[in-house]
Amino acid sequence: MAESTFSPKRLAREILRNRSATAGVAIIGFMALAMIFGPSFLPYDPNGMDFMAILEVPSWTHPFGTDAVGRDVLARVLYGARISMLVTIIGVSLGGAAGTLIGMTSGFVGRWVDPVVMRFVDLLMAFPIFVLALFLMLVLGFGIQPVIFAIALVYVPNFARLARNTTLAVKEEPYVQAARLMGQSNLRIMLREILPNIAAPMFVQLTVGFAFGIVIEAGLSFLGLGVQPPDPSLGVVMADGKDYFLAHPWVITLTGLTLMVIILGLNLLGDGLRDILDPRLRKRSMA
Amino acid sequence: MGFIWYLIIRLGGALVTIAIGAVFVFILMQLIPGDPAIAALGENATDENVAAFRRMHGLDQPLPVQFWIWLSGIAQGDFGKSITLAQGYPVWDLMVQRLPNTLFIAVYALVIAVVISFFAGSIAALRQGRMSDTAATSASILGISMPDFWLSYVLILVFSLGLGVLPAFGFTSPLESFSGALVNGALPAFAIAAPMAGVFARILRAALLETKRKDYVTAARSFGFRDTFVYMHYIFRNALIPFVTVIGVQVRYLVGGTVIIERIFGIAGLGSMMVDGAFGRDYAVVQACMLAFLVFVLGVNLIVDIICAFLDPRRTH
Repeated sequence: MAESTFSPKRLAREILRNRSATAGVAIIGFMALAMIFGPSFLPYDPNGMDFMAILEVPSWTHPFGTDAVGRDVLARVLYGARISMLVTIIGVSLGGAAGTLIGMTSGFVGRWVDPVVMRFVDLLMAFPIFVLALFLMLVLGFGIQPVIFAIALVYVPNFARLARNTTLAVKEEPYVQAARLMGQSNLRIMLREILPNIAAPMFVQLTVGFAFGIVIEAGLSFLGLGVQPPDPSLGVVMADGKDYFLAHPWVITLTGLTLMVIILGLNLLGDGLRDILDPRLRKRSMA
Repeated sequence: MGFIWYLIIRLGGALVTIAIGAVFVFILMQLIPGDPAIAALGENATDENVAAFRRMHGLDQPLPVQFWIWLSGIAQGDFGKSITLAQGYPVWDLMVQRLPNTLFIAVYALVIAVVISFFAGSIAALRQGRMSDTAATSASILGISMPDFWLSYVLILVFSLGLGVLPAFGFTSPLESFSGALVNGALPAFAIAAPMAGVFARILRAALLETKRKDYVTAARSFGFRDTFVYMHYIFRNALIPFVTVIGVQVRYLVGGTVIIERIFGIAGLGSMMVDGAFGRDYAVVQACMLAFLVFVLGVNLIVDIICAFLDPRRTH
């Protein structure tokens, strides 16, 4: 096996040295802390209505204001971000795992399997991504679980193509040949020799996948197909806000801003990880 | 000769993809829980009515026959009849009414994204490491991170409510008034364009920086060619290939954006029709929209391939 890129200590050191990755980790870290611990510092229940405080502008008592039934928007955003992130992480990871497995097998086995699988991957990648997700929601039904599966399925082709191409690149390496000569089974070679060596680009793809995955979740829930109210997700809170957006714009604006900051953090982290983990790019940037 | 063959092969590939796509969509539609007849007629429909409805829409036929009827209909421009949205109205007619709006917004957004990113990416690469590079690069990653549907509301807030310069709602069809569509479509188009512009600008910057270091560029400089000449003929031309290619990749995200954006701005396009179809369980409409979007993405990719073939004729061999 080639030297492992995944030594956590080395990775941490590299991240600190990379401006983009550091910024990404800082933003994501802050948002994660806010999501996990923030709600316990807020004296509000995300679904608790207060008809004495309807559509209040942002203030010290309600930093993000209140919505049409007097719910604290910050509490809803923090809980909503939890649900959005959870849905996205599970969905993209499922899709990533399935796609990696399919792509790796396709590239490793070759023969007739590869063109057939890749034809199908090409097809799925020719559908607009949000349109495909919307279509899958129709097939799977509306709600939180279908969103997870829709996000997973939408991401399968991206990961499958990447895994297949990187597998083709490492397949002929001497260590894979050696494992073959030792009579190891295909499954063992894929898991022990190929997977660790294609893990880095898959990992980068996962980070970038989270960034757009959360947009899909928010978009589907915004349309009313995803997470169902009164449960908050970032898309649900924005959908609430759109009804009285003209007179009370802060609900949707601040919720979307939170979403944007999360995506920005993920993108910065993805950029940084790509620089760190992709040796080809690193060589280029040093040249 | 090489180019014609290249084109034929690409076109054939796209047609095969469309055919497989039609099968894929048709099969998945069968997995949708619930009976479209019940969805259209309501829970209290009589058995006779349901049977009549099923006969009218061909739902009583075996699946392969249904598929064949659907496919041969499409080949003749007949996408079946709308089930719930506009009952009994041909889906094709609905699409013809709405397609110009979606095409207009998509192309408008694409043009905005290409123009912005062309300047941002070029400036960033030409002034690498300086303030303008940092500004363009930061703007790009901010743009990429903005969900387009949220950006729509921010744009309405700033340009319609705040400055009052652009209208937020009420889209005019480009067929009625092109200039009206340009004004009314500016905000939705920009909302879709901003994230794409960020992606394009980054790719162009990276491609320009990479090409700048190529040996043939050094050689051209050593011949004594002027900087502008080297840029135009040696650097830009080659850096344009990844730039154009990424447009083909990004079009997947672009057209997806129209789905929500059309609803926000009240544009009667294919995207909003598909959402309405999804809510109304109008399967004929959803099927047709899926195929239309598929054809659109493949069409753009075909154009991208052609442009790339012109930029780099070696591709056609």
